[in-house]
Amino acid sequence: MEVKINKNEDVTTVRLIGRLDTPASQEVGKELTPLQENAAGTIILDCEELSYISSSGLRIFLSLRKAAAVKGGKVIVRSINDSIRNVFMMTGFLNLFEVE
Amino acid sequence: MRTKLKLEERIKRNSALTALLLVVVAALTLEATSLIQYYYSEKGIKEEASRRAESQLENTRLKIEGVLDQVEAVIRSNIRLTQWGFDHLDSLDMITSIIVRDNPVVSGSTVALVPGYNRKRPKFAPYSFRDPGTGEILSRSLATEEYDYPSKEWFTKAIETDAGYWSEPYIDVGGGEIMMTTYSIPVRDGKGQVAAVLTADISLDWLTSYVGGNKVYPEAFNMVISRKGEIIVCPVETLVMNKTVQEASKDFGDQERVGTVIRSMMSGESGVMEIRGKSSSNNHVYFAPVERTGWSMSIVIPDSEIFGEIKKTRRLVELLQIFGLLMLVTILGFAAKSQNEYKNLSEKKEKMENELNIARSIQMSMIPKTFPPFPERDDLDISAVIVPAKEVGGDLYDYFIRDGKLYFCIGDVSGKGVPAALVMAVTRSLFHSVATHEHTSAHIVNTMNKSMAEMNDSNMFVTFFCGILNLEDGLLDFCNAGHNAPVIISGAKKELELIPNLPLGIMEDFVFKSQKAVLKDDDALFLYTDGLTEAENIHQDLFGEERMMDVLSTRRDSVGHLKAMAKAVTRFVGDAPRSDDLTMLFIHYIKSEPGVLKRHLVIKNDIGQISRLEKFISGIAASKNLDEALATNINLALEEAVTNSVMYAYPEGTEGEIEIKARVDDNEIEFILSDNGIEFDPTARPEPDITASAELRPIGGLGIFLVKNIMDSVTYRREDGTNNLIMIKKLK
Repeated sequence: MEVKINKNEDVTTVRLIGRLDTPASQEVGKELTPLQENAAGTIILDCEELSYISSSGLRIFLSLRKAAAVKGGKVIVRSINDSIRNVFMMTGFLNLFEVE
Repeated sequence: MRTKLKLEERIKRNSALTALLLVVVAALTLEATSLIQYYYSEKGIKEEASRRAESQLENTRLKIEGVLDQVEAVIRSNIRLTQWGFDHLDSLDMITSIIVRDNPVVSGSTVALVPGYNRKRPKFAPYSFRDPGTGEILSRSLATEEYDYPSKEWFTKAIETDAGYWSEPYIDVGGGEIMMTTYSIPVRDGKGQVAAVLTADISLDWLTSYVGGNKVYPEAFNMVISRKGEIIVCPVETLVMNKTVQEASKDFGDQERVGTVIRSMMSGESGVMEIRGKSSSNNHVYFAPVERTGWSMSIVIPDSEIFGEIKKTRRLVELLQIFGLLMLVTILGFAAKSQNEYKNLSEKKEKMENELNIARSIQMSMIPKTFPPFPERDDLDISAVIVPAKEVGGDLYDYFIRDGKLYFCIGDVSGKGVPAALVMAVTRSLFHSVATHEHTSAHIVNTMNKSMAEMNDSNMFVTFFCGILNLEDGLLDFCNAGHNAPVIISGAKKELELIPNLPLGIMEDFVFKSQKAVLKDDDALFLYTDGLTEAENIHQDLFGEERMMDVLSTRRDSVGHLKAMAKAVTRFVGDAPRSDDLTMLFIHYIKSEPGVLKRHLVIKNDIGQISRLEKFISGIAASKNLDEALATNINLALEEAVTNSVMYAYPEGTEGEIEIKARVDDNEIEFILSDNGIEFDPTARPEPDITASAELRPIGGLGIFLVKNIMDSVTYRREDGTNNLIMIKKLK
């Protein structure tokens, strides 16, 4: 699992590459927690190369989303594959995020 | 072995050589160091001795010159008075007495007229001298028949040389027997004719005491000789004014050198020479002239004197070196000896250990050690281990599959060491060859028993259990020969019931009978040798069957069971020496059904292990041609369920295992997730409200929700202290 964070003014793009399973989420969570500070702006979660997500991965997404809600920013989830879209659908995440 | 011995010989020889070399090098280094040090010290000391001798000679010369100058000055200053006296001959004794009186250094003085100078007094020589006893100045005439002054050296030489002359030292007979020398000078009258010789005598006592008292080294030999070689000053008093230096040195070692030195001295040279003296001791002779008197001063210093200290030091150093070297040799000797002893001892030990190790490796090479042994089969999970004791034992196990049946055995040869290992090897070979053509366990055991009893001269026996498991239906055909009853784990655990029997190799015609049992799907068989139950701790308590059964009650795969058992035994035994091999064989039977895929995975309660699920699921998906989206969903559901177990089943900090059994047929896929943790029913958790806004939604709670959503049925069962979560996903 790999994470690439790119900040461009108030837009932060996070590229998630690989499988965001439970063990990977522990690491990724640590990397993305500081982004909650940027939640006033726009955070784009680029899932083009994300193949899998578990509930612990969803928790990270939700944490960012909650921070954005508080600070008035937004979280955009971009390019999710079908299985992740399916998970989003099951969990109601499709309604919580702007999914592109 | 021969080359090894040769090598050892060589090593031994080499180490002796090394030791010798060490001693030699140490000796050479020490000797060289001390030689260099000695050389430089000697040089320094020699230079120092030269310096001391030369300065002594110079001081003596200055002292003598000072006295001579003084005397010469006295005489010179009285020439005019003397000349006046030529016309007043009766006053001459006045003049001489004044000279003596006014100059303490002068002990006597005369004015001796040249014979015939005065017609009235053809010989005239008034002499004044200081009485050695009273110090009174007395006068007398030297113009006597018996003295005949004109023939005296002091007179003739002064006339002859027409200059001041210092006489040869002489003993003043009648004048206190003191050694004297006389300075004489010709005195001319007003017409320029040599009229008389004016003299001054001086005692040489001061010279003897000055020269004799100033020694550069206590044993140094200070000497002054006259121009004729007469000894003037010398520590040996009998030689003074008695012998010439030539006579005195006749016995003094190397005559050639002595001659050279004396010649040099007498011709007024200065220098230093080495002379080998008597008893081959070396001497350094330093010499310098007193030109006015023609004397030669010399200092003879025996080398023992110059180099005495340094030689003493050197001897001490040499003694120390020798002592040091002896110590070194002794220490090396001890070291070599103890090394040899140690080597001999360790060689013996090593040889024995080598033999035992060979025996052990032969033994180990005969038993299957690759796990899983049948990776292509999903109906069998087998693990086995021999935990070796310090000494080679005779445990064995073996298994192979023939015609869909698992042939297996476990055995324990009585006794230990190489004989036990040999019998073990024979037993295992027999099993392998017999079992490849016999079809019942009793046949196998009976055949083996006959062979072994026939050739059993050493009264060794083997406890042996042999089984044939029909993998198709789980029917177990077994035959025991005196071995511990294996444990059958089928929900509950119990030992296999055995009919009475004997170990192999005791009675040739004993008839062993087969027994039957059935292994259901997921049943397991645990076989072991008494090294397990009879493992002793330091209090001589046995590990026992109860502890064994305890370990077996936890759900594990075969490897996990054996590891847990070995760990439990190790902990129990502690520091007590392990006296017997411990052998275990665990056979987990998974009954295969046509068209049914069974997979089994055990993981530890560690988040990191969850990643193993992906491979587990992809394996199943590939075997059953499941589509990717479904596989991903199943993976997700399983991951969520397992994560739940990992996180909550066992108290934090404790280790536990989670077992996942998958069963896939054409209609459905079923997972049974089991752990021995705290009772916990995940299905009872409230479902999250997925319609709530981001602000209101709790962060967690999605895991089990996903499991329930993905799976068609999720049920929880608590059984025998085990949490079981059964998850089913319909495939059709």
